[in-house]
Parts: sequence; C-alpha cells; structure tokens
Amino acid sequence: MEKAKARRLSQSKRYNLTGWVFLAPAALLIAVMSFYPMIRCFIYSFQKGATFANMQWYGLKNYVRMFQDSVFMQSLKNTFVYFLIQVPIMLILALILASLLNNKDLRCKGFFRTAIFLPCATTLVSYAIIFRSLFSTDGFVNTILIKLGILDAPFAFLTNTASARAIIILALIWRWTGYNMVFYLSGLQNIEYSVYEAAKIDGASPLQSFFHITVPLLKPTILLTAIMSTNGTLQLFDESVNLTNGGPANTSITMSHYIYDTTFKYVPNFGYSCAMSMLILILVGALAFIQMKVGDKRD
Amino acid sequence: MKKKFLATMMIVAMSASMLAGCGSKTDAPAADTSKDDAAADDAAAGDDAAATDDAAADGEQTITVWCWDPTFNIYAMEKAGEYYAKDHPNVKVEVTETAWDDLQPMITNAASTGETGELPDIILMQDNAFQKNAISYPDLFVDLTDSGIDFSQFAAGKLGYSTIGGRNYGVPFDNGAVIACYRTDILEQAGYTMDDLTDITWSRFEEISSDVQAKTGYYLVSERSGEADLLMMMLQSAGASLFNDDGSVNIADNDVLKKVIETFNSLAKNNALLVTQQNWDEYIKSFNSGSAAGAINGCWIMGSIQAAEDQSGKWAITNMPKLDGVEGATNYSNNGGSSWAVTSNCKNVELATDFLNSTFCGSVDFYGDILSKSGAIATWAPAAEADVYSEPSEFFGGEPVFTKIVDFATKTPANNTGVYYYEARDAVTTALTNIANGADMDSELANAQAAVEAQMQ
Repeated sequence: MEKAKARRLSQSKRYNLTGWVFLAPAALLIAVMSFYPMIRCFIYSFQKGATFANMQWYGLKNYVRMFQDSVFMQSLKNTFVYFLIQVPIMLILALILASLLNNKDLRCKGFFRTAIFLPCATTLVSYAIIFRSLFSTDGFVNTILIKLGILDAPFAFLTNTASARAIIILALIWRWTGYNMVFYLSGLQNIEYSVYEAAKIDGASPLQSFFHITVPLLKPTILLTAIMSTNGTLQLFDESVNLTNGGPANTSITMSHYIYDTTFKYVPNFGYSCAMSMLILILVGALAFIQMKVGDKRD
Repeated sequence: MKKKFLATMMIVAMSASMLAGCGSKTDAPAADTSKDDAAADDAAAGDDAAATDDAAADGEQTITVWCWDPTFNIYAMEKAGEYYAKDHPNVKVEVTETAWDDLQPMITNAASTGETGELPDIILMQDNAFQKNAISYPDLFVDLTDSGIDFSQFAAGKLGYSTIGGRNYGVPFDNGAVIACYRTDILEQAGYTMDDLTDITWSRFEEISSDVQAKTGYYLVSERSGEADLLMMMLQSAGASLFNDDGSVNIADNDVLKKVIETFNSLAKNNALLVTQQNWDEYIKSFNSGSAAGAINGCWIMGSIQAAEDQSGKWAITNMPKLDGVEGATNYSNNGGSSWAVTSNCKNVELATDFLNSTFCGSVDFYGDILSKSGAIATWAPAAEADVYSEPSEFFGGEPVFTKIVDFATKTPANNTGVYYYEARDAVTTALTNIANGADMDSELANAQAAVEAQMQ
C-alpha cells in the first residue's frame, strides 16, 4: 500500500504536471519568440552598430540621444495625442453601442453587430489607403462638403496638422470600435437581466442604470480593452505610414514609424532603434500597471 | 464518428501548415505550392535563389537578379539575359520581382545578421541609397573597378552615386536625367512656345507660369505637398549637395539651398506651381487629368505622362530652368535612377561582371531593344548611337526625345548624396514645410542641420 503511494504521484501533483505539460509548448514558444527577443533588444539598446555581429558597447548614450532627438520627441507627442483622444472616445462609443445592442427587443441585432464589427476585418494597409483617397483634395469628403456649400474650395485634410491627426483618430475609431464592442457585448451577457429589471422597478432611468449597473459590472472587461487599446495605439504604425506618411512635417508620425525609418530607411543603427523600442515597452508597461491599479479590484 | 473525422482533418491541416513554414531550403518550393500563406515573401524569394544556385552545379550557369518594375527593370534584365544567352547558351538569368521598399529591408537584414546566403548575385539599387548601403555594409558589394567594365562610358553624374572612395561598386542603369515636359497646346493658348521655356532661369519660369495660370488656369509644374523631389533637383542642378565632401552636413550655411527654398516658395506663392496632395497618384493625376500642363522630373516620368493617351502629340520636352544668381547653375539635373550591384554572395563574380559588361556596358542593340518596349533610357553614352534613339516620338511632338535626354545626362552635374541622404532629405522636407507655413528660414535650417547631425552618431 505504501509502496504504491510512493511510486505514483499524488493526484494533485499529477494534475499540476498535466497542466504544465499542456502549457509547456506555448510557454516555450512565447519564451523563444517574445521574451528572448525582448531581452536581446534590451541588451542591444546599450550597444551601437549596423550589423548584429559587430555591436559595440555604448552605455546609456542611446537613451540620452533619444530624448534629444527632436523627431522622436515629436513622434512621442503625436502618439500620446492619439492615445489620449482616441482611446477614451473609442471605448465609450463601444460601450454605448454594446449596451444599445444588448437590448433584448431590438430587431436585426445580428446585422448591426456584424456591420459594426466588419471594419476590423479589413486589412490595415487597404483601409488606410482608402481613407487617404477619401480625404484627398478631390476625394469623396471634399466633393460632398463643396456640394453642400460648407466649403468653397477643397480643404487639404492631410496637409494640415490638426486635420491629419483628426483623420488618423477617426480612422482608428472607425476600425476598432466594433472590436471592443464585441468584448463588451460578451461581458454584458454575464450581467443578469434581473438586475436591470430591479433597477427599472426602483425607478432608475436608462442613463442611471448604465452608469451604476453596467459600467461597474463590466469593469474587468473595460480594463482588458483599455490595456489592449493602449498597447495598440502606442504601437501605431500602418496608419502613420499609409494615411499621412508622417504627416506635414512629422506632425502625425508615430514612434513605431520613426523606429522603422531609423532601421530601414536611414543609416541603420540597431542600438538606437532598440532603445526606442524599449521606451515603448516601458511606456506600455507603465500605463498598463496604472490602469490595473485603478481598475482591478480583485481581492 | 463524423466529429472525430472532422477533428482529425483539422489537426492534419493545421500541422501541415505549420510544417510548411519551417520546410528546408530545397523542399520549400514544393511545400509552397501546397500551402498558400505559410512562407513569407522574402523567404520565398530566398528559397528561389537558393534552389537556382543548386542548379548551377550542373554545368548550366544561373545568374540570380532581384529588381522591381515588370515593365521597366525586369523587362530590361530579362532582355539582357536573352542577349547574353545568344553567345553563352548555358547561362540563364533568373529575375525575381522585389519592390525596392522590400529589397532595402532585406539588404539591411542580410547584412546586419550576416546571413547573406539568401541574397542573389545581382541586385538593383536606388542611386540615392547606394552610398548608404555600400558604406554601411562594405562587405556586401563587390568592387567592380578592375572587372573590365569601362566606366568612362557612363555619364559622370550617374556614376558618382555608385562610386565610393574612387572605387566603382555599381553599373549605372536607368537614366534619371531631369526633363521639363510641357503641354504645347496650353502654351500656345497663352502665347508662348517651347523656345520661351528652354535654357531659362527660374524667375523667368515663374513669370511665364503665373501668366499661363492666369490666362488658362493651368500650372506649368506640380509637386506633392511636403515632398522634396523638386527641391533636390534644383539643388543638384547647381552641383550643390546637402553634404560636404568630408561628409559633414551642409544645410544651415548652404546658400544654394536657401536660394532653392526661396525659389520654391516663390513659385508656390505666385501661382506658378501646383501643390498636390502628398501621394504619388495625386501627382500623376495632376498632369494626366488635372490642372497641371507640365511636369519637371526624371525622364522616367515620360511613362506616366504617356498614360494619358488622349494627350498624344501635345507634349514636348526641354531642359529645366536654372537657378538665378547661383554660380555653377545649370539647366540639368538628375532625379532617381538606379544601378546594378553585384553582391558578395555571388558565387561566380566573373560570370556576373562579364554578363553586365556584354549587355549593359556593351550592346547597343540591347539598349535599342529595351528603349522601344520599356522606355528605359540608357546612361551608357554609346547607346545613343542606336537607331531607335533618334526616332521621333509621336507623343512628344514628333521630336527625337531620347537623344535629347542622353545629351542632358552628359551635362548633369554630379552631387554628393552622402551616406545619410535620407536623413538629410527628410530634415530638409520638414524645414521646407515649416518655412512655407511662415517659419523663419535660418532657424528652420539650423534645426534641420542639428537634427541630421544628431542622427549621424
């Protein structure tokens, strides 16, 4: 009896082992594909060179250079403008749409959900190019505005700083609202309808039930989408390249676009590119941490 | 049972697609035909090159080439292969289409990681990027100076791009000599002829262009907003560059550059220049169907102009205006163009250089052939002797435009692109946009200089 017990693993240990065996391939892949490059990138950020074989030690100079680089600081500013304006608007819009579409009595719900979700199934490059042609001087938007008499002459949307940024923000909202909405919809399924019924009986208006029931109960989902959107917006690339190409005089360029330029378009200096990438990592990490501290109240 | 069967099929499909991505080099082509999305573009190109290198061992020699543009460069290279095969029937030239925007990162990746085994024998390289690549990665390109190619027969302005430290690393290919094309019918409407626009200065051009704009509503030149092409052309026409010979940045104290920016902004202000949106299609549309009745760009713009077939016979070509009050100003410049380079991964350098020598540096018939089909104009001076070159072009008013262009190329001043060309160009573009919006020129140029110097670490 004791021999049998000693030979075989206890049941909990066996379950643990099984769990680890299933996790092992994925964990290994993440470690090799994500963590190892991150660590190498971190090491390279303290070096300088154009070929990976000949990187020389450079200390913190890359980081110092980063903050003195006027184009990089501009791209940092631009990215934060996008982050601060686009993410809140998009998440609030997604939340409103989700709670509207969660209505049991609404007809054609499937159609609306598909229609709103469809934009994120498009490829980044094609939708950016289409937005660019929509807002060109003889594009659809200008033609309509002139026909309606709002404008006399075509407005160059993409050669004006404020409007170039606004169009990128608009494009992002158009594309990602549906994606976040789907998250909220699934989160809303977990809220029992009886809670809303009780609120209605107590005399709560739709707005009150939205703010006092929906939002608090959806906190975990909102946190998830906020972190994902932060990550996505800070790493913005395709729109900057294809829609505005960095915008008039670098006023709509994003950090990732600039990193791409320094690596492939300009004379390559991988240490510097890695340092900038590290900064994005730190920023995303810091923002995610702050958001979790604010939003995650698990015991 | 059905569920189990379905599940098994899905697992097989998923694992097969996973395995195709990590197939070995020689197996990859077979795997590629059965899977559609596994292999990335550059992996496929690399596999093709590797597969053909294996074939070289069998007595049949293969030269692998990567370049872009099926109607232009690829067509020319394949034709060159045919010409060479006439005397060397066992040599095959294999061209893989690779856009420049993909090719540049591939070069960077290969050189930086040391994995040059995937590169082909010959690549086409944008002249503007030549210095940057050849100086950053000197081990990647073969020195062609003593390979038997007679470089003196190429236009000096073009040759300068692929010459580093006095050694030649590239064979110049397509001509980027700047031409000014104008609509003769619009000019006539406003009371001007092509002679009025030949060998003139920019101030005279501004007069004429704003006059034509006032009378007909057409601008004689267009440029994309915030793009530095026209600026760089003007700069090079006076033999000036953004870098000094010793490599230091020449922006803040560059008097020619200041004159160029003044000229450019004056053109825009006085309705002599049409500013289009910042993308290529808009620029092309401006003279195909928009309100531009002229284009000043590299001679390769002819292809785009000819896209508007209804305008045949209404265009003519002359040289570009020159800068006022600048010593050494000419009516000639260069924009774009590329050169062939032999990579260090080439197993048979002698074969590759002999191939380039016999075709791109040796065959008048070859150049004549590609001219008619692809519009590729040579920078190799003897090519102008081909009969096709003196044929009149119906589209451009019945003139023998090709001999004109080859002639322009010989008069083009060389410039020093420098290694940090793209950094400098982007910095100047930013400065130009800010100056056009009213910022002070000297402070903007000083900022641009500082930005480039910071990036030159």
